[in-house]
Amino acid sequence: MRSARGVKVWLGAALAALGTTLAGQAPVIPGAPTGQAPAVDLSGYWSPALHEDLMERGPGAEIADYGGFPLNEAGRLWALSYDPSRVTLRHHQCEAYVTPYQMRALGNFRIWEERDPHTQRLTAIHLWAQTTEGHRVIWMDGRPHPPAWAPHTFRGFSTGRFVGNALVVSTTHMKNGALRRGNGAPQSDQAALTEFFTRHGDHLTNVTVVSDPVYLTEPMVRSSDFARQPVDPGAWLYACDDGEQILDRPDDAVPHYLFGKQPFVNEFSARYKIPLAAGLLGAVTMYPELEARLGTSTEAEGRALLSPAAGRAPETSKASDREPRDGNIHVLPVRDNVYMLVGDGANIVVQTGDQGAFVVDTGEGKLADKVIAAIRSLTTKPIQFIANTSFRGEHTGGNARLGDAGQDPSLLGSFFVTAAPRGVTGFFSDPAAHATMMAHVNVQVRMQAANAPAAAVPADTYLEDRRRKFHNGEAIEFFYQKNAVTDGDSLIHFRRADVIVAGDIFTTTQYPVIDLKNGGSVQGEIRALNEILKKTVYRHQGEEGTYVVPGHGYLADEHEVVEYRDMVVIVRDRVKAMIDAGATLAQVKAARLTADYDTQYGANTGPWTTEMFVEAVYNSLKNAR
Amino acid sequence: MKRLVAAAVLSTISLPVPLDAQRGGRGGPPAPAAPRSAAPVDLTGQWVSLITEEWRQRQFTGAKGDFGSLNVVLLPPARKMAASWDPARDAAAGEQCKAYGAAGVMRLPTRLRVSWQDDAALRLETDAGTQTRLFTFGPPQGEGGDWQGLSTASWDYPRAALAGRGFGAAPGGSLKVITTKMKPGYLSRNGVPYSGNAVMTEFFDRFDVPGGDSLLVVTSEIVDPEYLATPYWTSQQFKRETDASRWRPTPCAAR
Repeated sequence: MRSARGVKVWLGAALAALGTTLAGQAPVIPGAPTGQAPAVDLSGYWSPALHEDLMERGPGAEIADYGGFPLNEAGRLWALSYDPSRVTLRHHQCEAYVTPYQMRALGNFRIWEERDPHTQRLTAIHLWAQTTEGHRVIWMDGRPHPPAWAPHTFRGFSTGRFVGNALVVSTTHMKNGALRRGNGAPQSDQAALTEFFTRHGDHLTNVTVVSDPVYLTEPMVRSSDFARQPVDPGAWLYACDDGEQILDRPDDAVPHYLFGKQPFVNEFSARYKIPLAAGLLGAVTMYPELEARLGTSTEAEGRALLSPAAGRAPETSKASDREPRDGNIHVLPVRDNVYMLVGDGANIVVQTGDQGAFVVDTGEGKLADKVIAAIRSLTTKPIQFIANTSFRGEHTGGNARLGDAGQDPSLLGSFFVTAAPRGVTGFFSDPAAHATMMAHVNVQVRMQAANAPAAAVPADTYLEDRRRKFHNGEAIEFFYQKNAVTDGDSLIHFRRADVIVAGDIFTTTQYPVIDLKNGGSVQGEIRALNEILKKTVYRHQGEEGTYVVPGHGYLADEHEVVEYRDMVVIVRDRVKAMIDAGATLAQVKAARLTADYDTQYGANTGPWTTEMFVEAVYNSLKNAR
Repeated sequence: MKRLVAAAVLSTISLPVPLDAQRGGRGGPPAPAAPRSAAPVDLTGQWVSLITEEWRQRQFTGAKGDFGSLNVVLLPPARKMAASWDPARDAAAGEQCKAYGAAGVMRLPTRLRVSWQDDAALRLETDAGTQTRLFTFGPPQGEGGDWQGLSTASWDYPRAALAGRGFGAAPGGSLKVITTKMKPGYLSRNGVPYSGNAVMTEFFDRFDVPGGDSLLVVTSEIVDPEYLATPYWTSQQFKRETDASRWRPTPCAAR
């Protein structure tokens, strides 16, 4: 006997096929996930009705006008530190809008459906935004969101379903960007977005609900209205190429304001005769209680909101853990024959091909067998080369096991093995049974000094700025980064796939672990981040193109690197300003100079805390004198 | 069971009548369901406005002539009228509620209480200005001419958007309210006017957000040939509240 549920599905399918109209009952499409019955047709051309926030959406928002935004302290301080001239920097010039702001932007939208040609099931809904050529894909086929270590984009990854008379869209994996354009109100890469699209005749309403643990104390809700256009309004392109806007500017100069030094902060409140605090108080500014709240506000309160609150411990990161920690190795295809392996400490990169696997970094080694198994699932060829970006255990812990699992056939039968003096052949002991390990010489030196097992220490080293290799049909370059987080860091660039492995020079999870004892420095770190940016090319609107694999965290592109570079430069500048003013280390720490970044990168426990980072910057600058 | 299903299919083929029209029961002309029982969405409860757009103009009374985004829709007579805005004069004339009329009050910082007055009318109260709007299903009651005018309500199902697509209507829907015969008032507290001929069409939608919050979003269109060059489109959002103690009725204020 057919089950009751089966009958319901069968009946619904029959009714839908017959085209009957049963108000109040949702038709069921055979095989469609729950909620897939289209409740609203958004297809067509739409123009925004600019009857709200016209000034912000046109000329731009005013400095220190953050009213109506539930910014936390970090968000407020990030915004106050922001200098709009930052967009003159090459890598910021063509950045697209993140989706919540894209839906508020000027310009027309085009929306169309994508259907499976055989079943006519709705696969996706596409939105094209004229401004920034914003192409969103809302997947309607029930696919899951990517894992935490997958790349972020300005649009993010969206899935949708119909609920009642609305299209409900969930978006994750957005880049950090502007929650409001022009005055710095930020949205982090940890933000999640829920949207509701409804249509009443030719009036489309889009409601965005942004939850951002890094910069918001509660969800930010906005609604935007669009009018349907009967004809194609045209002009869908938004070309952007970056260029030189300010010549001879040092590449470690990032426009920003020191805390409390934003020179235009009073303009907004003075112009409209409202208290300075009004635009700075966060969530309460959204509610009817604001008037009563401002009744007790003083000028001093407003001034205090321009700098980090004194006497508080640093905030800790509110970001979600980007590592699986499930005891398994997860493989993320990057591009072409390059893969990122996640799960055993630092990220591992594998390039495959006819010649054998080329592996960059080997993780902590706790899951080395699973790493080897994952590599073997990608290629039947042996691991021929292992390169290390750093000597740290998170990057070299699997060297010995992966080395033993590989071999370097290029040495077999070569002069070095068969005819060279014993001293030379001994150097390549048993090459058929081991991969060749490469790194900057300082990696070798540091590992030997730490009494690492010989089988784990790279023997094929380089000393100067660059090492070249052509492997599996691809040029691979090593670039030594002197005194970055250590004195042995390499960037490794797969040129055909255009993937840069950054090691711990760049992460998306924490402040850079600038290890002064092992040769690191804040200036070297900034220099190294800028070296990455000199090699990247974005594909479109400031994203994708060259991929950058961080030491820890999700697969990135130049946008994440430039934001990280900005952060290190800005913190350096703040520390330097206090040093120049004669501050002690204790005073610098107490000033909470990283308060706008702590909810993203901060830690008060563990191997690398916020205080340790600030101390490293302080001492690095002091020692450089 | 198969026969039962087949019969159901055949019955819908021979009687392509919307299900909501059948709710009156068997035999004779179907009796329309009471609006309350036919409600596709529950809008009742207490809601607090989230002033996240046009923030300064809505949280503070702007200076004379500071129209904000209204700038793009105002006709010259509206600008002239707004230029003569005098809150003291309004207060002296007992017209301090001009910004609390139906076309203005939903944009103010306020709380709403939505409840069923009876089976055919929804009541919407605001604590800002202590106003009451009545949404009547069926013929409007009263003459209008006061701040809140006459509001006619209906349930709006998403069927229109599906016309020709071969699908039945989806569950859910909106409250549609058309308000006319309002006493002339202000679209914003600094004297931007709407006339007695203004017609406001609103759609009330409720959205449940992951995490537990519920939102009430009111999409509105105001057509006023006397003062507005184009229809004035906005949408206001409110968050559901369970703490009734936050309800604080306050009288109208002229500024």
